[in-house]
Amino acid sequence: MIPPGAWQLLRGDSGYPECLERTPRPPAVLYGVGDPGLLVPGLGVVGARKATPYGLACARRFAGWAAAAGVVIVSGAAIGCDLEAHTAALDADGSSVAVLGCGADVDYPACASKVLASLRRCGAVVSEMPWGSPPHRRAFVPRNRIIAGLSAAVLIVEARLPSGTFTTADLAADAGREVLAVPGSIHAPESLGPNRLIRQGATSITDISELADELRALGIAVEPPGAPGRIPSGRDPLLRALRADPMRVDDLARTFDLDIVTATRRIAALEQAGEVVRYPDARYGVPVRETQRRYNQSVGEENPRVP
Amino acid sequence: MQASVLSATIVGVEAALVEVQADVTSGLPCFTIVGLGDAAVLEARDRVRSALRHSGFEFPMARVVVNLAPAPLRKHGTGFDLAIALGLLCATGQVPRSAAEGCLAVGELALDGTVRPIPGMLAHALAAQASGLRLMTAAAAENHLIGVSGITLVPLADLSSLRNGVRAMTMTQSDLAGSSSLPGPDLADVHGHASAKRALEIAAAGGHNVLFSGPPGSGKTMLARCLPALLRPLDQTERLETALVYSVAGLDERPALGGVRPFRAPHHTCSVAGLTGGGSPPRPGEVSLSHNGVLFLDELPEFGPAALQALRQPLEDGALTLVRAEGRVRYPARFALLAAMNPCPCGFAGDTGKSCSCTPQKIANYQARVGGPLLDRIDLWTRIDRVDPAGLVGRSAPGETTARVVARVGGAHAFAAEHGRPPSAALSGTELLRACALDEKGRRQVEGTARALRLSGRAVTRLLRVARTVADLEQHARVRTEHVAEATAFRLLESL
Repeated sequence: MIPPGAWQLLRGDSGYPECLERTPRPPAVLYGVGDPGLLVPGLGVVGARKATPYGLACARRFAGWAAAAGVVIVSGAAIGCDLEAHTAALDADGSSVAVLGCGADVDYPACASKVLASLRRCGAVVSEMPWGSPPHRRAFVPRNRIIAGLSAAVLIVEARLPSGTFTTADLAADAGREVLAVPGSIHAPESLGPNRLIRQGATSITDISELADELRALGIAVEPPGAPGRIPSGRDPLLRALRADPMRVDDLARTFDLDIVTATRRIAALEQAGEVVRYPDARYGVPVRETQRRYNQSVGEENPRVP
Repeated sequence: MQASVLSATIVGVEAALVEVQADVTSGLPCFTIVGLGDAAVLEARDRVRSALRHSGFEFPMARVVVNLAPAPLRKHGTGFDLAIALGLLCATGQVPRSAAEGCLAVGELALDGTVRPIPGMLAHALAAQASGLRLMTAAAAENHLIGVSGITLVPLADLSSLRNGVRAMTMTQSDLAGSSSLPGPDLADVHGHASAKRALEIAAAGGHNVLFSGPPGSGKTMLARCLPALLRPLDQTERLETALVYSVAGLDERPALGGVRPFRAPHHTCSVAGLTGGGSPPRPGEVSLSHNGVLFLDELPEFGPAALQALRQPLEDGALTLVRAEGRVRYPARFALLAAMNPCPCGFAGDTGKSCSCTPQKIANYQARVGGPLLDRIDLWTRIDRVDPAGLVGRSAPGETTARVVARVGGAHAFAAEHGRPPSAALSGTELLRACALDEKGRRQVEGTARALRLSGRAVTRLLRVARTVADLEQHARVRTEHVAEATAFRLLESL
């Protein structure tokens, strides 16, 4: 059954996105729900499903800003960075396109159904799979070439090695699209992907003004961002250490040669002051409060018991 | 010719008095027992007949009817043998009626007339004491009553000694030899895990429920095994309460009488009845066997969902009521829960070294098995991580020994007792607020914390309980900001 407001574009149709045509293997048919006018070169934002608070915060920050500046955000619909990018775009009243590995009318994964419903209403959800196709694992990697194809540039937020996210970067490079990557800690397995991409020649993005410059260089008109945000610095050596690298109390106590009670109390005081937060894996790190709830979802709990 | 002797049957953890009435009348020889006895009670006919004969008494060649009153109460077990035999001997005049006067007769008979103790000797002894009776039972039963004072025993080696007249003796209190805590690894032998050890210390001092989560092989179970040594010995009332449960379960009650706090670690295949008690006749389960002690559930999500949810009532009420067709029994079950779990099916979610192979959905399902209501009762949560192998081979300084922690825990208990407070895990509502005696600054801090960390009302209560215990450990009458701060570090997060 074809859902209301659905459309399908054949290769050669006038509405078939030109940017997709210029890829090595454009899909023969593109099925979609929502606004077909959004299929213009946008900013792809992709990242790991098991993202860290850092990755989610980056996805939210860059996708949110770009969407507010009038750029269409393109991503999958997986839990983690993808969903975070879409929600950030929707929260900023921007436009966002989700590319699925199942039929464009199918809600997969189930936890994305709310976001997908919003996107069908005020964004777009597309797929090369016919209506009603169930999700199949072999469909997801080919799907990534559509994400790359609909993007002028693809921003890699977090990716393990090897991973689907990393293949999206390869596909974007094959299609001649700009690959952007957010660097991360050399200790974090989630940042291995972007860090390696930067070494291989991807552009590193550490700030919104850098992203704005890149988008302008690609011919996408964006509003200039305000002054770059100040990165807070603190005197407390514990706080500085936690900002650089999230740690558990035991490790912190050992690093600073404190007894456990003192370390626990100091770190808890920092948490109460809002300087650090406890991540679900018990490490303390920079607060990313607005993304905390979604991080909990990405590591497993659908409905956090404490709101 | 009629005679009656008092005996008792176990209901819950108490012995209910039963009057054994024996009637010997002329007629066709037969032997009937009426009064809702189970199969073991009915088998008493053959044991009593043989025991009487082999002890040199005569079994009456007459119509023998034994009634167990009150008749509607279900009776079970082999403890009526002695009372039935004694009743027959009194009714037939082979033993003077005075022998049974003021006695509660409980014991199983062997065919040669030897009197054997039965499970629940302690419950019977206490029932006898409460009714001002002497407990006539097997001489060997004395071993089950060491450490209990004020009980008058009439010990019988075998039935034939009834012929020579019986002598009563009063038990005096004698302490059981041996250690008053269970053996386990010393905290100093456990490398690293400083915050988990601190959590154990707080739990031992305040009787809190603890949850450890972490990857396999990180030391959750070993840490848990350190807890029994930190617990203070049982006091006099607790000893009896706990020993009673062991006694009616037919287990060795001597450790409890000696003051050892129970530490039960049932396997995760344990059934609901095994955990809560049940069966016919009802027997106490693991939660009751850990009364006044610790129930350790390793691999928490692997327990059956029904078994886990059955823990909610005892965690809330400190007791467990079983309702069965034959009536309701109440078992005490006031215990501290110590649980350990992997964060996901593969075990490595959140591990810094090894990556987790589970999908987010799988992790969610795994954690949901434990269930919110049970997690709501966890006061202290600690993530346990695999330790750096460099430290394991002995390059770091050893931590505190169990003995030093025990001293602090003891101090905390003494301090709380001085202020007339139970362990903080038992505090709630206004009692807890009064105990915390927060000043203006402290109140503001707790409010701020609750807002900043978005704590629910129940979470704030848990926080204050833990903070109260932390303050007890430092012997502060007032809960201060640093105590609350430390308590927040042990709160349970939404995801494990």
